[in-house]
Amino acid sequence: MINPVLARELRERMRTGRAFVVIGVFLALLILTVFLVYQGRQSTGVIEFDLARQTQLGRDLYEWVLFVMLALVLFFVPGLTAGAIAGERERQTLLPLQVTLLRPRSILIGKVLAGMSFLVLLLVAAVPVTVVSYLLGGFRLIDGLKGLLAVVIVAILHTTMVASLSAFTRRVQTATLLAYGFTALLVLLGPLMYVTMGIADSSHGNDQANPPAVLVAVNPFSVVADITTGATSTGESNPLRAIRSGVAEAKANNNDSWFAWFPEDDIGARFRLVNDGPSGLPAWVVGLAGMTLLAGGMAALATRRLRTPAEVER
Amino acid sequence: MSEHVDGEVMVELLEPEELPGEVADGPELAVRATGLTKRYGTLVAVDRMDLAVPRGSIFGLIGPNGAGKSTTFAMMATLLRPTAGSIEVMGANPAHKPRTVRRRMGYMPDSLGVYDNLRVDEYLEFFAASYGIPRAEWPELVGGLLELVDLAVKRTAMVNSLSRGMKQRLSLARALVHDPELLVLDEPASGLDPRARVELRELLRSLNGMGKTIVIASHILAELEEMCSDVAIMEAGRLLASGPPRQILQQLGGARSIRVRFADGTAETFTVADDADQASLLRRLVVDDERDVVEFIEESGGLEQLFMSLTEGIVQ
Ligand SMILES: Nc1ncnc2c1ncn2[C@@H]1O[C@H](COP(=O)(O)OP(=O)(O)OP(=O)(O)O)[C@@H](O)[C@H]1O
Ligand SMILES: [Mg+2]
Repeated sequence: MINPVLARELRERMRTGRAFVVIGVFLALLILTVFLVYQGRQSTGVIEFDLARQTQLGRDLYEWVLFVMLALVLFFVPGLTAGAIAGERERQTLLPLQVTLLRPRSILIGKVLAGMSFLVLLLVAAVPVTVVSYLLGGFRLIDGLKGLLAVVIVAILHTTMVASLSAFTRRVQTATLLAYGFTALLVLLGPLMYVTMGIADSSHGNDQANPPAVLVAVNPFSVVADITTGATSTGESNPLRAIRSGVAEAKANNNDSWFAWFPEDDIGARFRLVNDGPSGLPAWVVGLAGMTLLAGGMAALATRRLRTPAEVER
Repeated sequence: MSEHVDGEVMVELLEPEELPGEVADGPELAVRATGLTKRYGTLVAVDRMDLAVPRGSIFGLIGPNGAGKSTTFAMMATLLRPTAGSIEVMGANPAHKPRTVRRRMGYMPDSLGVYDNLRVDEYLEFFAASYGIPRAEWPELVGGLLELVDLAVKRTAMVNSLSRGMKQRLSLARALVHDPELLVLDEPASGLDPRARVELRELLRSLNGMGKTIVIASHILAELEEMCSDVAIMEAGRLLASGPPRQILQQLGGARSIRVRFADGTAETFTVADDADQASLLRRLVVDDERDVVEFIEESGGLEQLFMSLTEGIVQ
């Protein structure tokens, strides 16, 4: 039998039309991206009859679209999912739900699936936009699909994290603020720590600064950037490409490993996190593994929080 | 014949064997609490409470605001874990076997939560699904429940468009979705107009007639008095008295006033100790003294008086 919470959520969401507004805004912004990139590239020279430039443009468009898509997903998920459990509490519908035979994990899973099915709808709606860049050439279909799939998986993990956070709040407003704060940390904390530790490192010795590369790998953008590496990587600069080379550089600086820190430094030897050797794991595997662990841990805590009988009614 | 028994405020909890309404199969008590205690930090919301709810009864829990009624109900309803003591609901411990209890108990919290964009029938279907009731049974189940709570005409209306009383009845229908043997209703009559209250009372009576045990918290004493076979009075977390309303009244004050009006227009007030006393008074007046009695009214203050005399307005 289909998860009752999922069935109810879908019914409610479709009825409010809000879903269609969100899809509309999402598509409009993607189309705007395509338009701006196209305009920008066109002004730098004639594209027609220049196959090399055209494929380059296709690749570029694709990466821009993927980048904006991921940014929009990360922006929409907190708004759409933060109220998952907090909303039930706020409307005082959680208690009746908790005395049914539904298990806490089913409640959470229903909420995550509801958020997810909406995201999938969003991404399916975005396929035509991606097809435009595919028609211009510059990347293989399989790479294009891999990129979209990566966005979907990152979105699922992010939705799980936000829905789990929601179990710890009473008001939708608090939950939404918390979800946006958390999303900002998810994206920025790793790179910020990487930079800070790099500065600390370079003040110790005179060798290269090399904090653990895992800090920049466990990041939604790194995952999507890295998974689309397959194709030709020539062409103009764009955010995804910059992220991709940044992550690669961080790893190369660290003896090709993800976790090592200060590998050639005497003082640093004491601070070494994990003394691993060169790692063949691509960044997206490390990133997805890290985010899956985080999402799983948060979901486990949320399920515990929803379990009744509880010490305090909540 | 009219001696006045000194009012002893604390009434002994009745032993389970003494309680009426025993049912042959299963446990005789729908709810049994022993030394039940719930603390929130230093605040003792429920204090060493002993409670026995006979099966098949309509059991009223009465108490001023903050007495701990909702807390007690939340512990019965598998939502709150007691700090100390034990509680058994339909023979199972809600803290250890919550799902066993949930299968046999319907709970209506004191808050009315409804979803914004759901129809009345969809709302009930959602809860039917949450109790694992097969989809094929939904239409008949929902129809029957809506009929029962008199909301059949609102079947396709949006839940949030219902009036408060209708939402309350829908809430009751929701608690009945899985045909529980025990209903735990936290102030189901609050916010209802007099007519709706009478209807609710009738509804609860007929549910009781179907063999369901009903535990109900309320402030409306007259209503409880008329409907409940057993009541418990609590204040500041403590149980002050428990048992059939009449029995409590008797054990408490013993004396009741009887106002008698005669055909010649005169009236007199007598005081009697119990039912036997009251019957012999009537016999004496009518049979022995051959007086023309036109009215014979018991003037006990009932639960309200009892409530006022027992509780002291302690606020925690
Ligand atoms: N989650 C909580 N945290 C702390 N104290 C609580 C909590 N819930 C209830 N209380 C306290 O426990 C006491 C009993 O509350 P409860 O809601 O059980 O009373 P009640 O008898 O249902 O009152 P009312 O008639 O107003 O509904 C009150 O003093 C209340 O402040
Ligand atoms: Mg209450």
